Amino acid sequence: MLRYLAIRLLSGAGILVAICFVTFAIFFWLSPDPAVAVCGKTCTAARIEEIRHALGLGQPFLTQFWDFLRGIFAGRTYGSGADLVHCPAPCLGYSFQTSQNVWEMITQRLPVSATIAIGAALLWVLAGIVLGVISGVRENSWWDRGSLLLTLGGASIPSFVLALALQYLLVVVLQVLPFPQGVSFTADPQLWFESYLMPWVVLATGYAALYARLTRANVIDTLQENFMRTARAKGLGPVLILRRHALRPALTPITTIFGMDFAWLLGGALIVETVFGMNGLGLMTEQAIQKNDQPVIMAVTLLAAFFVVIGNLVVDILYTYLDPRVRIAAR
Amino acid sequence: MSPLLAVSNLTVSLPASGGYADVVRSSSFTIGEDDTLGIVGESGSGKSMTALAIMGLLPRGGRATGSVKFDGTEILGMADRDLRHLRGAVMSMIFQDPLSSLNPYYTVGLQIEEAYLAHRGGSRKAAHKLAAEAMAEVGIPDPAVRARHYPHQFSGGQRQRIMIAMALICEPKLLIADEPTTALDVTVQAQVLKLLARLQAQTGMGLLFITHDLAVISQVARRVVVMRDGEQLEYVTTEEAFCSPRHAYTRSLLEAIPRIDDALTEAP
Repeated sequence: MLRYLAIRLLSGAGILVAICFVTFAIFFWLSPDPAVAVCGKTCTAARIEEIRHALGLGQPFLTQFWDFLRGIFAGRTYGSGADLVHCPAPCLGYSFQTSQNVWEMITQRLPVSATIAIGAALLWVLAGIVLGVISGVRENSWWDRGSLLLTLGGASIPSFVLALALQYLLVVVLQVLPFPQGVSFTADPQLWFESYLMPWVVLATGYAALYARLTRANVIDTLQENFMRTARAKGLGPVLILRRHALRPALTPITTIFGMDFAWLLGGALIVETVFGMNGLGLMTEQAIQKNDQPVIMAVTLLAAFFVVIGNLVVDILYTYLDPRVRIAAR
Repeated sequence: MSPLLAVSNLTVSLPASGGYADVVRSSSFTIGEDDTLGIVGESGSGKSMTALAIMGLLPRGGRATGSVKFDGTEILGMADRDLRHLRGAVMSMIFQDPLSSLNPYYTVGLQIEEAYLAHRGGSRKAAHKLAAEAMAEVGIPDPAVRARHYPHQFSGGQRQRIMIAMALICEPKLLIADEPTTALDVTVQAQVLKLLARLQAQTGMGLLFITHDLAVISQVARRVVVMRDGEQLEYVTTEEAFCSPRHAYTRSLLEAIPRIDDALTEAP
């Protein structure tokens, strides 16, 4: 198990370095000169040259890449003299456009994105699985058809449409919810809950629909397995048969997809955060893309990749406990 | 005294395109205690559906008419919640493919003990001990350890032994064995047949043995039902089926059994 873990962690680190490299290469060759973006409107050729020097943009590709990697572990300084900026480890870069350390930008906003992701995940897992199990067990019933229609709608409606519609209905017309605010749980629990409720629901809707369909298909498949017939032949009751023999095989594969989806969302829910103006990683990314703030985009890409790699690892380890056939093979 | 199991005019229909199709038509036979009846026929002849109808385990939408009496009580059309108390308790069934018939997510010990707990209750611990004993009974070495293993960690023959242990844990009066040896190697096949014969001698249970293999029938059954396309062609003693088959189909089944002297005469 330890050996397995070590190999997986090493390969995960390898993947992260590779993603780093590719992202870095894309920005190096494909995007417009970041120095121009930093310089702003009142810009001179001499000023651009200064910025290029301060950011190390004149250096060869590999040197820049190495500086970036080293900065993550050892920190780095940009520029010199009066312009000197120190970026302590872990340094994911420095946004000259906003004059902020990227790591600090991320750590300020991660709690917001994480709160949105966790709340939405709870909602969609609960709703998706309950709906999916009922549909699967009562295949082709009215329940099933109703839920299929519902999930079709949920999966088809674009999240920004749902977000705007909900906001208009609940905040503007009915006035039952306040406009979402970036308030912390400790400051005002009720306002916190009311602020996050719409983002949770909107983000969860599409996923819930998808998970309901997936669960339904898995339940239907599992119910046709021979071991279900054995369970009935033993004289077990229907509740025990469903709970013990059907649900575990049906739900275990969903863990894999959940790990990926959830990890991906920790990197920020771009649309939901933008529409509701929640100051999370998604909104930050959206602003960074508009302004071509490369250090920020780079860092967010890396962070999202990091979460997905870790999420995958967690799921794989979890899987060795959920599915005995995998368990034995891994040891 | 009524026989253990009396099936008369059993007709089974399954949903098919545009209505129902009969997969078993007017089948009738009886099984007594310590008695073995074979049902033989090719795939799709309705032999498995006959067994599933007796157990009340027909696929969704399946219908059975006629009469199935167990110990004198009509069980055809009984509500599932009532029939449930008979399944695994007084009548049990084992299946063709033991690997897919066991749940891969649970230890075999748990799967045997839950069959006991469903009918007899008591503590998990006591049931677990009984499960290990049942595994020893069917010839699984080191049962206390093996009970904590998962189905994929056993060989095909052992899996079928485990299925047998599970089916017999409540000492049923009737065991339905649906092609129990078809998926096994020939040597393992013989071991499982011997095991079934020994357990039957010990418990005096009735055995309904379904197979497509007449050679196996000759080893286990006293009487045999020959089926084709849902039709019951013959219901005779095994001796009669082998020595004086009335139906042409039975003769062709007999001719399909490979014989050692065929090989001798035809080899160059």
